[in-house]
Amino acid sequence: MAKKSVWSDNRFWQRSAAWVTGFASILLIWLTFDTSVQIAMGTDADLQNGVTKRVPGPTVINYKITYEMSTARGHEVPVIGEKELFFGRDDYSEEEAGALLHLGKLGSQTKNCMNCHTLLGNGAYYAPDLTKAWLDPAWGPEGSMQAMTGKETKEEAMAEFLQHPSTYPTHARMMPNLGITAEEAKGLVAFLKHMSSIDTNGFPRNFGKIKGAVHGK
Amino acid sequence: MFEAMTDVVPSFFAWLNQGPLTLTIFLHTIIILPMFWIYKQEKARLESES
Repeated sequence: MAKKSVWSDNRFWQRSAAWVTGFASILLIWLTFDTSVQIAMGTDADLQNGVTKRVPGPTVINYKITYEMSTARGHEVPVIGEKELFFGRDDYSEEEAGALLHLGKLGSQTKNCMNCHTLLGNGAYYAPDLTKAWLDPAWGPEGSMQAMTGKETKEEAMAEFLQHPSTYPTHARMMPNLGITAEEAKGLVAFLKHMSSIDTNGFPRNFGKIKGAVHGK
Repeated sequence: MFEAMTDVVPSFFAWLNQGPLTLTIFLHTIIILPMFWIYKQEKARLESES
């Protein structure tokens, strides 16, 4: 009788497959919970105590956000700095800031920003990626967008543009007028400011190449 | 070879993602080594049956 090989034995492959599938399932369930913890939003206390969170609390809109190269991590990271006025205030409470972000989030969904823009990797590339739009120097004090709207601050310039996008010839593909109200625009700008403070492991990769985006370089 | 831990929060999955070697060692440990064990068990079973 010919000696039976283990390699042609069904049970060996069944047991191996069961082991790999079972272990991978456990690993993926663990990864799900690990990720949930890591992407949980921080609090106002975290911001005051300098605790670094991937997703800072809503009161991050009270602070100046810059984008700096981290040599250790090999990509740019958002850095939360000093207090900064946002629509004339830097004392938004956790509830007020949260309500503003919520309004902006709902606004971005009802106006379907993702139909043209990309937010945190979701959406389209018909229009510019908005993940780090708040940090785009074009909206800064020397930026062309702020100059075009004639506003004094970044947030006012963005809000003005969002309310009357078709007034400003910005891009070969101009943004249509979506009927965004002043309050909605304020919420959307807060939403964008908060989004720019999220540590996205350097995504989008090409953002740091915009002149002036990273630490004024 | 082994890179420094640079993730925001050091975790098992951050370690797994540090470079190709950590992932390779991990996958060989949890997939290949148990398969040697299963192989030996099945070989012993086939020999005892024949």
